[in-house]
Amino acid sequence: MKQKRELVGQPHPQCFFSEFPAESDWDAVIIGAGPNGLITAAYLARAGLRVAIVERRYEVGGGLATEEILYPGFYSNMHAIYHLMVDFMPAIKDFDMERHGLVWIKPNLQTAMVFGDGGSLLLTRMIEDTMDSFHKYSDKDAVAFGKLMRNWRRIVSEILAPATYIPAMPPIDLTVAMQRTDIGREMLELVEQSPLDIINNHFENDRIRAFLLYISCMWGLDPRETGIGFYVPLLIDRGMNKCYLHGGSHKLAGALSREIVRAGGTILESSDVIKINRHNGSVTGVELMEGRTLNSDVVISSLDPHTTFFDLMDKNKLPTDLKDSVERWKYDKWSFNTVHVVSKEAPHYACEDQWVDESFMTIFGFESTKQLLAHWDNVVAGKIDKNSLGGHATCESFLDSHLVRKPGHISFFQMHAPYGIDGGWDKRGPEIMEAMLAKWAKAAPNMKRENIVMAKQETPKDIEIRFPNMRRGSIKHGDYTPIQMGCFRPNEACSNHSTPIKGLYLCGASTYPGGLVLGGPGYLAANRVAEDLGVKKWWKPTKEMERYIKTYLT
Amino acid sequence: MPKEERYDFVIVGGGPNGVGTAAYLAKCGASVCVLEERPEAGGAVENTEPIPGVRITPHAMYMYAGPAPAFEQLELHKYGFRMDWSPQSKNLAEQQVRGVATTQGLAPITDKDAMGWAKISGMLTDPPFIKELLRSIFWCPPHPPEIEVTAENVPYMQVYKRHQPDVWTEELLDMTMFDLMDEYLETEPIKVMHAMVAWYSGAAGHWEGVAIPALGCDITLTIYGGISVPRGGMHDYFHSIIRCAIAHGTVVRTCCPVDEIIIQDGRAVGVRLRETATTDEKKIWANKAVISDVDVKQTFTKLVGPQHLSTSFRRKVEDISLKGGSIWVSHLLTREKLRCRPKFRNPVSGDDAGLGPYPCDSRAIYYEHVADVDGRRGKPTMPPERLMWLSTPGDRFDAADPQCTIPGRYLASPYYTYVPPPEYTVGGPDALDKVKEEINAYLRKAFSQTIENLNDDTLVHHWANTPYESEFRNSGLIGGTWCGTRHCDDQWGENRPIPELARYRTPIERLYLCNQTACHPGGLALMAIPYNLMHILIEDGLAEPGKWWYPSPWYIPQKGKISAVPLHAGGK
Ligand SMILES: Cc1cc2nc3c(=O)[nH]c(=O)nc-3n(C[C@H](O)[C@H](O)[C@H](O)COP(=O)(O)OP(=O)(O)OC[C@H]3O[C@@H](n4cnc5c(N)ncnc54)[C@H](O)[C@@H]3O)c2cc1C
Ligand SMILES: Cc1cc2nc3c(=O)[nH]c(=O)nc-3n(C[C@H](O)[C@H](O)[C@H](O)COP(=O)(O)OP(=O)(O)OC[C@H]3O[C@@H](n4cnc5c(N)ncnc54)[C@H](O)[C@@H]3O)c2cc1C
Repeated sequence: MKQKRELVGQPHPQCFFSEFPAESDWDAVIIGAGPNGLITAAYLARAGLRVAIVERRYEVGGGLATEEILYPGFYSNMHAIYHLMVDFMPAIKDFDMERHGLVWIKPNLQTAMVFGDGGSLLLTRMIEDTMDSFHKYSDKDAVAFGKLMRNWRRIVSEILAPATYIPAMPPIDLTVAMQRTDIGREMLELVEQSPLDIINNHFENDRIRAFLLYISCMWGLDPRETGIGFYVPLLIDRGMNKCYLHGGSHKLAGALSREIVRAGGTILESSDVIKINRHNGSVTGVELMEGRTLNSDVVISSLDPHTTFFDLMDKNKLPTDLKDSVERWKYDKWSFNTVHVVSKEAPHYACEDQWVDESFMTIFGFESTKQLLAHWDNVVAGKIDKNSLGGHATCESFLDSHLVRKPGHISFFQMHAPYGIDGGWDKRGPEIMEAMLAKWAKAAPNMKRENIVMAKQETPKDIEIRFPNMRRGSIKHGDYTPIQMGCFRPNEACSNHSTPIKGLYLCGASTYPGGLVLGGPGYLAANRVAEDLGVKKWWKPTKEMERYIKTYLT
Repeated sequence: MPKEERYDFVIVGGGPNGVGTAAYLAKCGASVCVLEERPEAGGAVENTEPIPGVRITPHAMYMYAGPAPAFEQLELHKYGFRMDWSPQSKNLAEQQVRGVATTQGLAPITDKDAMGWAKISGMLTDPPFIKELLRSIFWCPPHPPEIEVTAENVPYMQVYKRHQPDVWTEELLDMTMFDLMDEYLETEPIKVMHAMVAWYSGAAGHWEGVAIPALGCDITLTIYGGISVPRGGMHDYFHSIIRCAIAHGTVVRTCCPVDEIIIQDGRAVGVRLRETATTDEKKIWANKAVISDVDVKQTFTKLVGPQHLSTSFRRKVEDISLKGGSIWVSHLLTREKLRCRPKFRNPVSGDDAGLGPYPCDSRAIYYEHVADVDGRRGKPTMPPERLMWLSTPGDRFDAADPQCTIPGRYLASPYYTYVPPPEYTVGGPDALDKVKEEINAYLRKAFSQTIENLNDDTLVHHWANTPYESEFRNSGLIGGTWCGTRHCDDQWGENRPIPELARYRTPIERLYLCNQTACHPGGLALMAIPYNLMHILIEDGLAEPGKWWYPSPWYIPQKGKISAVPLHAGGK
């Protein structure tokens, strides 16, 4: 009978329908399918290379995620939701994203800040609307804002935005180039000031100062640090031009992945890259945890320096300089702690100006610059003061009906928070979530327990679990400090997206120009690889980039 | 300004059947657009990660599609298709050693049971004919209306006659799966187990005239699919299908609900999107045909205007039965690995993996469950000790899959339990949802009959989606059932879902159907409907596949139409 049992038991050879092979050959393998990996892969695939992109999660997108974390029935944009560079990102034009049905919404009311006494400030796409709200507190600041922004808009659109998509330059060369124009010189003057100085120099009212400081530093600038001041005009201008991708951020990932596939590229999800193979010092491919091997002379990593160089390669076989620089790499100074909720009613803020309820982003919890700075100081020291915390909130269903599959609203309240919190997130998480909900209910009195159907917290630790490359919850894969920016990101040898290891390239947020959904690292890496391999580029710089090159680089 | 959008085919709904159809048509060289209402295509074949690092599959879990011609025809391996073979697939014999879970513990499976089962499953011949058997059940379009269905021409009957003539009898067409098993198997628990697997996978063990379809649903999973899951879950299998479609030029638009199928002069010419659709162009035109992957009821009650349909047709559509498959899906996240009570442990390996269906003592219990679900249609009345449910083996996840779960947390998922469809629930569609926590607690009591350590101390999360929630999440999952419309003989094959619609055509010219609720062979992500529908679209001159195409050997062309058998293979 034993034999027969085997007949019952053994799956017949017919059962083994074809699967993706154990070993395969490629022109380029990209590690990680976040916005940057996808962009690199899409450019190179269309350039005719045989491209494979490997993603650890079951779904591509990295920070471009629209997922049902409030299960069942409610989708959230749990990571990137505010798209800052839609106006300039070459990938959006090069791949004609409109053809993919992508529609970005840019609400006029971009950000509101509400105060305990019912006062509020607004930051809007149209300068005058912002000025109107500033006039409530200071005529001088309102006027100053109007004048300043006319210049800063130019600094951004003519210099900072196009430079995002042009290879990094050493500081000296950059200084020389900027001398050519007035706005270039104005920008250089900002570099050596701290965000706090810049804001304090231009504005007198403390609420307006707090508001603009939040907008300038929320993505991770140290308010007191010098050397990064040019980020202030960039982030205020971009803070006035945030876009929401209708249908959720993941739609951009979907469109990019369709571009890859259309051009003959292959996407493998649920595959952890565990090793970058090398032979005689050159890269030869990658190993997947499931046991498959992808062979390629070009490997492009979108992961953070530690993962790429120490986890996926033999640390001891790296050039010493490279090894040292990776060891010195500093992860983000703070991360985000986010409470996502489903509520019966949308948040309704206790505020004299009812327009605030329609704001894309609403800041609350801070009454003064002092309180804001204290919160950030606490965070950097691994603490959160439950009585004095604040952050920003967005009601997603207000913008996008597609995210709710059942009656109700979804919103989130996001706060800067330390990865290494005193006591640990496992222990402190619940009380911090309570404190955040209490703070929210104070600003928007209808956000009480009775109104909340479901609530879910995503801590900095959770970010790291979802994306191990966002080490310590680093949403930008590494801090923004003068020595980790520009041609020093991630280090001098690698900021042009190639590395001292032959065949290995970098395309993620830890490489110039940096984190957020800028599409910069991915675009520049594609350019670098195309140039090195002698592949013809099918794309051209945008007109903003061309003007910048003409004015400053030729 | 947006330009006019026009394609050869517009497909409404991006479930596996809609997208599978798109892949076939795009591979034929047609221009195809798929419009999906939700943020993500994939229909009931999806993943979510409700807490970091813990992925659950709210609906489809297992690979039943192994014999599908689409693996070859669409070359899914090129688009990343991979399996995670369960260790059990290598040793089904061990399962026989373990036996069947009953309230008394594990009941033995005898050699007669095993041999009988192997025989009717097409495993005793050399070579086995299981693949042909399964293809004949699922991967062949229903015969055309002018052909009388007989014991001679039903595809699976032809297969038995050829390969295992001693199983062939005309009565096969009238039997229940219980009747069939009474003939070939000897012990009651194994019969109840298979009847239950069949009910949760296709036609129920107790429904008249669908013995072989029910058997097919069971063995395509347990024997052919090795009780295994695709790598990354069914959604990643879906990815290989959608990427095949895209590689051949299909345009996929998510967050684009269709509100109307536009009909001019009795002919479907395009669709109108809801105002909220995330695209600027709100009308999309079809040169050749509109194909609906929306459930049959909504297609004809919401998307097609009543003026285009006869009253009697509409009434027939309204009467299509949704019973027999509404699933309450549970996912348990625990601090300890869930352990079987000693009497359920595998005597050989000591293995604690999921047991499949429980309890399988007798068909009396099974019928009690049927009465609750489809008879009384209210809250379950069975005591938790007797409630029937189905768990999936806990070891199905590959340890090399980075998203199984996180260290220190164990995921047992999903556990399926049938409850009445919301539409038929006494007390209204949300009656059970109102007592969701109570029912979850009741279910945990039921699961604890076999599990020794499921309690408040070990439980971290019990996620559940009720059938009503399934409907909300995926508006195509009518009745919250996994197959939509009952797979009974009156709604199967040439009768699915009603004879007028059996060959995927509709009373509206150039409107075709591809949703599981509307088409033979119904539920499961088999890529059978797209394959079967191809025969019909070829007949109507709308699709012209290349050399890669081969039709079902049991297919009978409709009179007056172009045959789907290629010329080089003797077609006309
Ligand atoms: C909570 C939160 C809110 C944010 N909000 C915004 C916002 O509003 N606006 C904005 O612009 N930015 C925002 N960001 C930042 C933005 O999401 C990131 O900076 C951006 O996604 C970085 O893109 P990337 O492609 O470089 O890397 P990532 O998006 O991190 O992608 C890397 C990918 O690699 C994968 N991966 C990791 N390890 C492996 C491995 N071993 N093998 C294979 N794959 C692997 C990961 O799963 C991931 O998909 C936010 C981030 C977070 C966490
Ligand atoms: C709980 C459960 C467990 C299951 N387990 C398995 C399993 O283990 N293995 C297996 O193979 N199968 C399983 N199935 C069955 C399988 O998931 C389904 O048979 C399959 O998804 C059906 O595919 P479909 O394309 O016909 O319909 P669906 O998957 O329902 O897709 C229909 C699509 O149409 C969209 N839609 C609806 N209305 C509109 C509109 N007006 N406009 C635009 N789009 C619209 C929906 O959003 C949806 O995406 C299970 C199902 C359930 C519910």
